[in-house]
Amino acid sequence: MTAPSISTNLLGAIGGVPRPETDVVVDAREVNKWFGRLHVLKDVSLQVKLQETVVIIGPSGSGKTTFIRCLNHLEKIQGGRIFVNGHLIGYRESAGGTKLVEDKEKNIARQRQEIGMVFQRFNLFPHMTALENIVEAPIHVRGTSRDEAMATGRALLERVGLAAKEDSYPNQLSGGQQQRIAIARALAMKPALMLFDEPTSALDPEMIGEVLEVMKELAREGMTMIVVSHEMGFAREVANRVVMMDDGVVVEEGTPDQMFSAPTQDRTKAFLSKIL
Amino acid sequence: MTAATFLRIGTRRAQLVGCLLLVALVVSGCSGGGQGAYIIRPHYFWDSLLSPSPTIVNAIGLTLGISVVAQFIGVVLGVFAAMGKMARFVPFRIVANFYIWIFRGTPLLVQLSFLFFGLQTARVFMWPSVVFGPIDILPEILAGIVILGVNEGAYMAEIVRAGIMAVDPGQTEAAKSLGMTFRLTMTRIVLPQAARVIIPPLGNEFNNMLKTTSLLSALSIFELYTTFSNLSAVSFAPFELFGACAIWYLLLTTLWGFVQSWIERKFAKGTVGSQTQGPGWRMRLMGRTSFDADARSLGGH
Repeated sequence: MTAPSISTNLLGAIGGVPRPETDVVVDAREVNKWFGRLHVLKDVSLQVKLQETVVIIGPSGSGKTTFIRCLNHLEKIQGGRIFVNGHLIGYRESAGGTKLVEDKEKNIARQRQEIGMVFQRFNLFPHMTALENIVEAPIHVRGTSRDEAMATGRALLERVGLAAKEDSYPNQLSGGQQQRIAIARALAMKPALMLFDEPTSALDPEMIGEVLEVMKELAREGMTMIVVSHEMGFAREVANRVVMMDDGVVVEEGTPDQMFSAPTQDRTKAFLSKIL
Repeated sequence: MTAATFLRIGTRRAQLVGCLLLVALVVSGCSGGGQGAYIIRPHYFWDSLLSPSPTIVNAIGLTLGISVVAQFIGVVLGVFAAMGKMARFVPFRIVANFYIWIFRGTPLLVQLSFLFFGLQTARVFMWPSVVFGPIDILPEILAGIVILGVNEGAYMAEIVRAGIMAVDPGQTEAAKSLGMTFRLTMTRIVLPQAARVIIPPLGNEFNNMLKTTSLLSALSIFELYTTFSNLSAVSFAPFELFGACAIWYLLLTTLWGFVQSWIERKFAKGTVGSQTQGPGWRMRLMGRTSFDADARSLGGH
């Protein structure tokens, strides 16, 4: 299988790096979440600056996936505040800022437009072709004209190396191809932030490379990204910071060098010794 | 004729041919013996099938028209009731459940009588007649369509709900993450995928609807059954005419079977093995399933 040609100017397709309104794109403060009686996030705080790539690692069940799902309010939180682009996500404050009330569905939807998300299982829309998947939200959510959305969509497809597949349905594509289209679909909304929830975990080994290649290119071009992943090579190569989570808390964070060569916490050492 | 040959012809086709033969033989050939016995007059049967009078043609049109509109109302109500049942907002759930409970829990004939005669007589609600372009819809027909549709909606609700639940929750999440509102998520992403699951049972429902319209005779609506019932009363040929009436219904439901498989194939877009989704009409007519079963069993011995 030939390596797909990933363009070196991915963000060119959407008119360059989307400019968020603040320097701190993500500001999560003491986020708490329970699933019933299970306390899955315990005072998790994380700041992500503009153009930063943060990779979250940790054993399964550590809450890392739940945490990034909270960032676009796919999960409710029971305590703390999450700001993306300076906007409080999912809630509005009432009673003088002491209580959080879930925001209106429309407002939440508007906030999500700025946050792209890539899922472990791709979640492409099976009744739409690759191109239709990409232009769906720009046309129906953003109100972009059909022609413009199609042009952007084709440019994105070309840049993730799938120009020839625009009329294919997801079930006619490999996992790696589907995931690249899912990335293009998220990018088409010109998000200020991209969330990746274990984007290569459901892929056959030979397809992981092509997806990571797209993600690396995005990071290099300055997209602000949070990636939950077990791909340590990817973390080492493009992450600005690596965050280790375990049992619902942030155990340790630092540059990839610090984290991989000289972790300070025992739990990080134990985890890395198993995975590296 | 051995069982194997019977199966090879295809159960369904055999059934169809068998029924037609039986009816035709009886109607054309025999007559009851003895004094004062029923004399079969085959031309009543054949005429109403081969050269139907305008009355019969109208009746067929009415049956079809009522069925289509009532089914449409049923689908729309079913979608809303299904979403009501699945809503987080409790009053929506209560309303949806109440509606489904009432209309599935009482006989359609009682609903028709109560909501038409009952309401009219007590002057609680007078069904109006509606002018719809060139068509003047009589109050009883309007009532018939609406009540059939509302009744159907209660059954469709469960079908639609099953369809929605069959859609991978990841689809909703992907739609949400792209900034879609609930309405967009439903209309663009979830319902088109649920449709694939909904359409086969929906076809069944419409097949039922075509036949259930016969209950509208209670409101003296001249659809297929009432018309034939009246004709047979006038001519005293119930054997020939109800036989013909049955054939007309059979024709409608059979034709619908073809349309249904065509629709199912259209909606199979993007699914694994699109081509095998639902048997084609030729396969249906040939009763392929039994043929296959037969072929397998022959191969096994």
